[in-house]
Amino acid sequence: MTWLQIFMYIAFAVFAAGTAWKVYRIARMPIHLRWDLYPIPHEKGRAHYGGSYYEEFEWWTKPRETSRLNELWAMAKEIFFIQSLYHHNRSLWIWSFPFHLGLYLLVGFLLALATVALAGTLAPEQVIYSSAGSIFVFLAAASPYIGTVGALFLTVGSLGLLVSRLINRDLRSASGRTDYFNLMLLGAVGASLMVTDIRSRAGFLDIYFFIRHLVTLSPAQPLAPAATAHVLLAGIFLLWLPMTHMTHFVGKYFTYHRVRWEDHPNLRGSKIESALNRSLGYPITWSAPHISGKTWADAASAPGREEEKP
Amino acid sequence: MSPRRISIRDFCRKTGQLVELDPGQFLPLPAPYDTLEFQPKIKPLSEDGKRKYESDLDGVSAVKLPRPQTEDEKRVLVEKFLTGLRKLFEQENNWTFMQPLFLTMEYCARCQTCASACPIYTESDGIEIYRPTFRADILRRLYRTYVKASGRLTAVITGNGIEASWQMLARLMELSYRCTLCRRCAQTCPIGVDNGLVSRELRKIFSQELGIAADSLHRQGTQLQLSAGSSTGMPPAAFLDNIEFLEDEVEERTGRRFKWPIDKAGADVLLIHNAGEFLAWPENPEAFAIILEACGVSYTLSSEAVGYDSVNYGVWYDDVQFARVATRHAQIAKKLGVKKIVLGECGHAHKALTVVADRVFTGDNNIPRESSLTFLHQLIVKEQRLKLDPARNDDIITTLHDPCNMVRLMGIVQPQRDLLRAVSNNFREMEPHGVENYCCGGGSGFAITQDLNFPDWRHSLSGRAKMRQILDVFHDVLDPETKKYVCAPCSNCKGALRDLFASYGLFDRCNVLYGGLVELIVNAMVDLDRPYIEWDWH
Repeated sequence: MTWLQIFMYIAFAVFAAGTAWKVYRIARMPIHLRWDLYPIPHEKGRAHYGGSYYEEFEWWTKPRETSRLNELWAMAKEIFFIQSLYHHNRSLWIWSFPFHLGLYLLVGFLLALATVALAGTLAPEQVIYSSAGSIFVFLAAASPYIGTVGALFLTVGSLGLLVSRLINRDLRSASGRTDYFNLMLLGAVGASLMVTDIRSRAGFLDIYFFIRHLVTLSPAQPLAPAATAHVLLAGIFLLWLPMTHMTHFVGKYFTYHRVRWEDHPNLRGSKIESALNRSLGYPITWSAPHISGKTWADAASAPGREEEKP
Repeated sequence: MSPRRISIRDFCRKTGQLVELDPGQFLPLPAPYDTLEFQPKIKPLSEDGKRKYESDLDGVSAVKLPRPQTEDEKRVLVEKFLTGLRKLFEQENNWTFMQPLFLTMEYCARCQTCASACPIYTESDGIEIYRPTFRADILRRLYRTYVKASGRLTAVITGNGIEASWQMLARLMELSYRCTLCRRCAQTCPIGVDNGLVSRELRKIFSQELGIAADSLHRQGTQLQLSAGSSTGMPPAAFLDNIEFLEDEVEERTGRRFKWPIDKAGADVLLIHNAGEFLAWPENPEAFAIILEACGVSYTLSSEAVGYDSVNYGVWYDDVQFARVATRHAQIAKKLGVKKIVLGECGHAHKALTVVADRVFTGDNNIPRESSLTFLHQLIVKEQRLKLDPARNDDIITTLHDPCNMVRLMGIVQPQRDLLRAVSNNFREMEPHGVENYCCGGGSGFAITQDLNFPDWRHSLSGRAKMRQILDVFHDVLDPETKKYVCAPCSNCKGALRDLFASYGLFDRCNVLYGGLVELIVNAMVDLDRPYIEWDWH
């Protein structure tokens, strides 16, 4: 095994464990008070103007009408098109959109190569550049272009965002050193792949075989300097990612589905009610004079020490 | 130093008043308020006031917090704050908001999309301390430095550390009262981060751990409500007297005499108004009574303490006080045996009892709650139980102010518009409206905060976007001969508009009046022999 291979195993492991830990931490947090924000896209027939089931007379006596399709469509627009930024911050979207698209394409590039590599291992008879009609041929043929376009978008997007942060007063005054570092790191990841030139046979095979050796746990050959730099930078990014706000690719699920769009009514006998009963039983130790009671349920039903005074 | 160049470092280290406010530097308003002549001033605190109260943020005091006199006092306050900060991230102590707060702490990309959505920041023309991420970044730094396990080390590496001092915390406390919690910032955030919640949670640390909160919300707010029966200080006996007076007044205004249902067990509906209506705008509960009587609705008011006041200021600063008030409302409804609670025209009461408290009520406390807008929409638009003629409102041009709590925060957008169109031929929308509306400037308790020079700040800044919208929507009819009506179906919004209009002289200069929705409905009732709306300043 080369040092670069070992480094990448560590990077992937830290990325996976760090991200999983964050997801686990957030997912196991107790149910919170409702804090929804409209429009909510699953509100059937009302989402387009921001309406909710509270507009329905005695809504609790009627079946709720929701649209999963609307919600999925809103999610797709947000994930792939960064729709909210498009609507509310167009000058940043111009760079943020290619930046994110570049990342998606690079993830696609990586997955395509890993798929081809695994297939090549399982069916070693010339999977790459042979077996006409195979999906793997398509993936192998398309991946240099997917990777190149992804790298280009990521580099241009990072550069644009970086320059925006430097010249826009609003952004500059709110930016910290980590914001600049993140953009420079990702820009370097994209630029180094462009320098590797994966559209050339040598550049492509360098990256392909490195990934193949990674997924098959076999020793890799030394890489060309540009490819080494790219892999190293990608590894550093993976190591750094879980410690930053850039894990918003998972965080966003919670901010939308568990807060902003979370409008499930609490009905008697429901799971929500059971969860609430647990939370209301939590001990409370806030120490301001008006707070009394050992649990939240006590505190909510007690008048409070100060209110007891005439 | 320019208020547009203040940094977090300045916020922490500079001594004395950090920002000097000059309304001449804010975004200009349309005519006739395009010069400073007719605009309100922000009066500085007196020397005595500055000495007594914490006001080193921007020379304004919302909380009226006495300055600690000794270093020891300051040290104790800082320690208490840090204890509260840690509790904010404990599951047991903050199950109520821990998940949304944690997400907000972790995922802000500092893209500043929220800044252009915030009416206070934009109307101030970019005063740095009002930027939504400014206070959020301070809390983030405190969280990273004092709460996160790897905090101090990563804070040093990333340059995101912060040292807690009383001077900084006193400014931060005041800064948490420079946000109306309208949550426009959260609505536009591409990631779903909620910098408005940060203001609320900061207020919560101060209230729940240090016992410090704006008097208007706590001592004269929830505490008074829970002890006397109402945040107005009106005890049950006075409420009953008031109702008798309102019955007389209805007879005078309409010639109709009927008994208002009080404590009627087994009624279908418990109607709860913001008690401020009975004192400041009695025509509003009177209009409700006229409509419900004419529609033949089985309803009741409650004369039990808290039961006749729908306000719940806890929703803006304190989870415990919030839960106490909400629980009292539910218990009173349960005791009366009603089928549902209907909330009068009060936006925050809508959100508090209907939405937020939905995660407080269990078992038989969980009584259905409904907005009066939805309820009236059913009676008037769908069932057409009233005979209405919109032409009776033809001499008034009407616009609608959307209370944030009803639209953006609970999705009630269309019923009020259908109702308005049923009673007015001259209805025009402000821009933006609906879920993208601007706050009246009185959100999160600002409308009731009348201490020191805070109202000046509110009129000049937090209400400025609404003032601009009103001037824009009526731009072609601003002459004093044309009657213009800002329909605001919310008591707090009405309070904010009343003070805003008075400070700009908007009624005298441009003949713009404000009021609720039900007043317009009653004004359009064909079987009343004279107009219900009295066109005078009140």
